[in-house]
Amino acid sequence: MALAEKALVMAREAGASACRVTLSKSVLDLAGTLDGALDKVTHCLDRSLSIVLFVDGRYGSFSTNKLDEQDLRPFIGKAVQTVRLLTEDPHRSLPAPDRIARDSVRGDETKCWDPEGYAAVSADWLVETALADAVTGHFEDPGFTLVSEEGELSVTVSESLLLDSNGARCRCKDTLFEYGVEVTLQDNATGEKISGYWWDSSPWLARLDHACCGAIAVKRALAAAGASPAPTGRYTMAVSTECMGKLVTPLTSALGGFALQQRNSFLEESLGKKLFSEKLTLLDEPRVPGVNGARLYDSEGVATVNGPIIGSGTVRTYFINTYIASKMGVAPTVEDAMRPVLVPTRPGVTLEDWASEAPEGAIIVDGFNGGNHNGATGDFSYGIEGRIRRGGKWLPVKEMLITGNFLQLWASVADVLDDARPCSPKSLPSVVFENVDFSG
Amino acid sequence: MIHDKSHYFNLFSVERPLLEKLVATSLASGGDWCDLFFENTTYGQFSLRDGAVTSGGLHADYGVGIRVLSGEKTGYAYSETTRPEDMMAAARAAAAITRNTVRVGATVTERDVATRRLYSGEPNPAADRYPVRIHWRSCDPSVMVSFLERLETAIRARDTRIVKVMASLAWQVTDVLMFNSLGELKYDTRPLASVSATVIFARGGRRERQTVSKSWRMGVEMLSDSLIAEMAEEAVRGIDALFEAGRPKGGKMPVVMAAGASGILLHEAMGHAFEADFNRKGQSVFSDRMGRQICGKGISILDDATIPACRGSLNYDDEGVPGQKTYMVEDGVLTSYLHDRISARSYGVAPTGNGRRESFRYAPIPRMRATYMDGGAYAPEEILASVREGIYVEQFANGQVKIGEGDFTFFVKSGFLIENGRLTRPVKDINIIGNGPEALADITMVGNDPKVDDGAWTCGKEQSAPVSCGIPTVLVRSLTVGGE
Repeated sequence: MALAEKALVMAREAGASACRVTLSKSVLDLAGTLDGALDKVTHCLDRSLSIVLFVDGRYGSFSTNKLDEQDLRPFIGKAVQTVRLLTEDPHRSLPAPDRIARDSVRGDETKCWDPEGYAAVSADWLVETALADAVTGHFEDPGFTLVSEEGELSVTVSESLLLDSNGARCRCKDTLFEYGVEVTLQDNATGEKISGYWWDSSPWLARLDHACCGAIAVKRALAAAGASPAPTGRYTMAVSTECMGKLVTPLTSALGGFALQQRNSFLEESLGKKLFSEKLTLLDEPRVPGVNGARLYDSEGVATVNGPIIGSGTVRTYFINTYIASKMGVAPTVEDAMRPVLVPTRPGVTLEDWASEAPEGAIIVDGFNGGNHNGATGDFSYGIEGRIRRGGKWLPVKEMLITGNFLQLWASVADVLDDARPCSPKSLPSVVFENVDFSG
Repeated sequence: MIHDKSHYFNLFSVERPLLEKLVATSLASGGDWCDLFFENTTYGQFSLRDGAVTSGGLHADYGVGIRVLSGEKTGYAYSETTRPEDMMAAARAAAAITRNTVRVGATVTERDVATRRLYSGEPNPAADRYPVRIHWRSCDPSVMVSFLERLETAIRARDTRIVKVMASLAWQVTDVLMFNSLGELKYDTRPLASVSATVIFARGGRRERQTVSKSWRMGVEMLSDSLIAEMAEEAVRGIDALFEAGRPKGGKMPVVMAAGASGILLHEAMGHAFEADFNRKGQSVFSDRMGRQICGKGISILDDATIPACRGSLNYDDEGVPGQKTYMVEDGVLTSYLHDRISARSYGVAPTGNGRRESFRYAPIPRMRATYMDGGAYAPEEILASVREGIYVEQFANGQVKIGEGDFTFFVKSGFLIENGRLTRPVKDINIIGNGPEALADITMVGNDPKVDDGAWTCGKEQSAPVSCGIPTVLVRSLTVGGE
């Protein structure tokens, strides 16, 4: 705190009329395995100071990891001089003090802080656990060879302080325990290589389900064996929870003030309009203690709120920071969707439950393989892999593309299932869409 | 490039005895290789929005990464200061890899004897691929602000349908000093700058977007009037077609890739699978094909660090190995992977200068630099004329690959249908998917117009790295094209 306070003072002394300082530090320890043996250990200690300066009606953002005073003072002095060369911008200002979060004082209010768990993790524990979790040596399938297995077990502790010259004082600290494993298998008969990945993460050590990851990665790889494209056509499509971020992020990005103000959004002038399926309700719920993604303030220090983004198909909010709000002449909000939550229309039903009742010809997307979308028009095209229902069975598919427009896609929601993974910072369960164009 | 090593010693507050002591500490408990990577990066950027440069910034990053190898196992730690006590702590953390582990694989000292001559010499560097006339760090920011303002004016002057122009200029200068347990000392200063512009057009109720970017390892001298003219022209080129463009009927069809940026096909479909770490681990689809014919005779693919001022070029890689030109495919035969020191010693070959890292926070891994295909025999018009029904792809956004399976995709921002050998209806925003080895084997015609694209390409394999890509006009017999 003292260093951040000192940086504020330095900025004011150098000529800034207002400023915001964010001081971050984190420590990461990681043990990596390759084919059941230790492959790497990593120890990372990061710290950085970011400073946003308002000088003579002008604005600039700066950062450094050289935090000794003899380095910091000239850095900030040069930063102030740089800002003075920019064009004046009357829309730049700090957020009003009454918008600032006042309930993030200790840093652990989000309850994503597990000091006991962190203390229990030693370098030896990381190595021993990563080795114990490996499937190499346990893999048995006469039809396949385990070509390689890579696992990474890590623990991160991070802390961030945000101060501004209007009196904002916000603190956040959290822990994160993560394990991920990727396997590559080879079909002994065809020589085909297939890969599978699975992971888990949690702010709480006791909630990290690491032991199952290798087996699930193998299962996912085996499920993809022998995949081929299905014929080009229109299909019912279920997108698994692991992939849903790819389809939701373009929506929240298009509702962001920067895209709207630059007329680079397919959701311009959408506020209050019913554009999507009645079955689409998307919330922002960052204020849920103890879950991945919980946040009490955004990068301006503005207090987050739980509320609707899209309610029964109707757009309920934009995300507009202080600067863009002034430019657009509207009220500001938090700068972005912090923790999007899709509300299930079929409570208790998972993707595998749906798979057992899915219609013939339905396709389940288990992974995206590249693609992009046009933020101005909402047109998208993505590579996919997954499975298709044929003759009552699920057969693997790959090398297929889905193509369409997000306005139409989200208008065609048939069901939102109830299988979001708690390890994800976004709570996005599997979603079923109707009449999606596939190319194969 | 600064040729005085004392500049780097002063910058990082080190002397050779301290470097040797750090290496000794790192190896005290039994590792067989250690390298130190000191980095000092200054990064600046300016953004133009709504007709004015109202946002800018400067960022500094400084530290040292310490890597210890025990066989093929890696211990890695870093310090954000170069205080001796902090670096010693990082050295001891990296050395943890040697505790309770059984060493496997060859060691650098066992196998690198034959390769030391490649990177042991003076002067430093052997060749300077990015000489700078006007230095970014000492440049008056008003020069950059003025450039962006003139760029916006030039773009707007070319089309009345423009409703927004967003332009940005980002530059960085990175000083690196490398020292390893062979006693090799290398140092370099790398410039890198990018200019980009996104332009929003409106016609009737519709909007379209064009983005153009240029990037080189050059000094401030790159901010020329000719660059403004070139970018302004590219920013509006093809906008009429974009307003008319639609989605093609999807499915498998011949694809003609335009020269230049189509090199993303090489990067995604083949380049990653040539990176030796994937092959060393048996994951790559090419891991058992060394020495075999993997595509048509006449096709040669290389990865090159030696193109002057190119975004992908390097005097040294991030392990101190000199930048060089590496043929992966010669006349259709797979002849080399892209190696860092770990994979090189595993294969018993010389490193190819592909050990790269995003920053001192990361251990180096095999990465591409500028990847392209040599020119072939056909005129681009001949290639187009040979296609009865297919797609001509011109502008690209991004791509990715699944290494094991070889399945790749890339996103086409704009192109045209080919009907009876002629370009007809414009198409846009489609993804194309295929399998690397199959697509490579399916290249049936290679144009005589090789070109390396100068856009701001960035590869995201575990870490971010600037790269370049290029290709002549080529015909791929069959790829799956997204559509309706």
